[in-house]
Amino acid sequence: MTLPQPLLKLEQASRRRAGRTAVQDLTLALERGQVLGLLGVNGAGKSTTLSMVAGALAPDSGRILLDGEDLAEHPALARRLVGWLPERAPLWQELTVGEHLDAHGRLRGLKGAALKQARARMVERLELAPLERRLAGVLSQGQRQRLGLACALLHQPALLVLDEPGNALDPVQVAALRTLIRDEAAAGTAVILSTHVLAEVTAVCDRVAILHDGALRHEGMLTSADHAALEQHFFAIATARAAA
Amino acid sequence: MSALAVTRLELRRLFVRPLAWVLGALTLAWLAWNFTLMLGSFLAAQIRLAALPDGPGYTDLVAVPLLAKLAELAFLVVPLLSMSALAGERREGRLALLLGMGLKPSRIVLGKYVALLVWLLAWLALVVAMPVALAHATAIDWGKLAAAALGMALLLASLAALGLACSAFASHPAIAAAAALVITLGLWAVNLGARMAGVDDGALNWLAMSSHLQPLLRGLVASPDVVWFVLLTVVSLALATRRVAAERERG
Repeated sequence: MTLPQPLLKLEQASRRRAGRTAVQDLTLALERGQVLGLLGVNGAGKSTTLSMVAGALAPDSGRILLDGEDLAEHPALARRLVGWLPERAPLWQELTVGEHLDAHGRLRGLKGAALKQARARMVERLELAPLERRLAGVLSQGQRQRLGLACALLHQPALLVLDEPGNALDPVQVAALRTLIRDEAAAGTAVILSTHVLAEVTAVCDRVAILHDGALRHEGMLTSADHAALEQHFFAIATARAAA
Repeated sequence: MSALAVTRLELRRLFVRPLAWVLGALTLAWLAWNFTLMLGSFLAAQIRLAALPDGPGYTDLVAVPLLAKLAELAFLVVPLLSMSALAGERREGRLALLLGMGLKPSRIVLGKYVALLVWLLAWLALVVAMPVALAHATAIDWGKLAAAALGMALLLASLAALGLACSAFASHPAIAAAAALVITLGLWAVNLGARMAGVDDGALNWLAMSSHLQPLLRGLVASPDVVWFVLLTVVSLALATRRVAAERERG
C-alpha cells in the first residue's frame, strides 16, 4: 500500500534575503484539504516561505515539490496549481475590479466561456457585484483584499497561499474569510495561511507551524481546544527571541 | 498564449492611463504644427524649387523632416512610456505576482514589449498620415517615404526595447526613464567627436544610432542599418529577460 503523496512538500528549503538568512532548512508537507497556519512574529520568514511556495522566489538550497514535481524545474506548475494572495494585494490601480478578474483569468490560461464562468463565480462568492466597474485604486483595504482573494481563487487552485489575508478586514469580513477557507478545504484545496493572529489559526487551521528566525520551531496538528497551549508555545518562542 | 495575455493587460493599462493620452495628444499637436509650418515653407519655395533640376520635393522638405522631428520626440516619449513597465511592477509587488503565476520571464518581457510597440506604431502611423493626407495634391516619393517610415519603425522598436531593459534593471521608474534617455542620447551622439575630427568611418560611427537612421531617412535601405536596429532590440530584450529571470533568485 502506498501513502498518498502530499500536494506540497518543502525539503530543507533555505533562502537568504537582504544579506540575512530569511528561511533555513525548512521541511514541511501539506496534503489536499488541509489548512496549515504559519505563525511567527514579524521577520520570522513567513512571507519569504510563502513567496517560495508560490513560485515567485527560488530557494537558495533545498527543494519545493508541488504534486511531486520540483517547482524550480517546472515553474509553470504554479500557474495551474497555486493561488497566491500576497500581504498587500498587488493590484493595477487603473483597472476595474472586472478587468482584474479577466486579466488574472487570461494570465492563468482561462478563456471564453470558462473565463466568464470563473469570473461570475468569484463575483458572487466574494460579493464583488457592486464593485465590478469600480477602479482598484479607489477600493478600501478590505475591498482590495477581497479582490485579491478572488483573483487568487479564480482558476480553482489546488493550493491556496494566503499571506495575512485578515489584514484590514472588519469582523464580518473576517468571519466570511474563515468560512471561505473552511469551504475551500472541504472542497479539497490545501491552504497555507500566514498570520500573527493566534485566534485566526485556532479558528480555521488543522495544523500549525511556528517559524522563528527563519527556522521551524514547532509543528503539529491542532484542535479547537489547543488555543491556550498554542498561545503559551508561541509566546515562549517570541520571548526567547526577545531575551536573546 | 501567456505573452498575449500580458500584451492585452498592458495595452489596456496604456489606454486607460492619462500619461499615454497626454503624451500622444501633445506630441501629435506639436508635429501637426510643425507639419503646417514646413508645408507653408515648401509652398512658398515651390516655384523656385521647380526650376532646379533634381530639386528637393514635398517628400524631402515636408514628409521626411516631419519624421525626423518624431525621432527627436521619441527620445523622450519612449522612456516615459516604458519606465514603469517593469520597474513600477516590481515596486508594487506585481512582478512577483506575475512570476508566481508561472509566467516565463521571456513572455512577460515580450508581452509588455509588444504592447508598447503597438502604441508606438499607432503613433508613427498617425504622423505618417499627415503628409500622406496630401497625396492627391502633390507628388510623393513613395519609396523614400517608405524607407523613412521603416527607419522610424526600427528606431521606435529599438528604443522601446532599450526602455524596457532600463526598466528591468532600475529600482524606480524615474531612474529607468533617465537611464534610457541618457543611453539613447549617448548612442545617438557617440560618434560626434570622431566626426568633428573628420573621421567618418570606424567603430564609433558604426556604434552611433544616427549613422544608421540617417541613410534610411534619405531613402537608402541597407541591410547593415536594419541589422543594427534589430541587434539593439534583441540585445535589449535579452537583457531585460535575463534581469526578470534573476528576480526569482534575487528576490
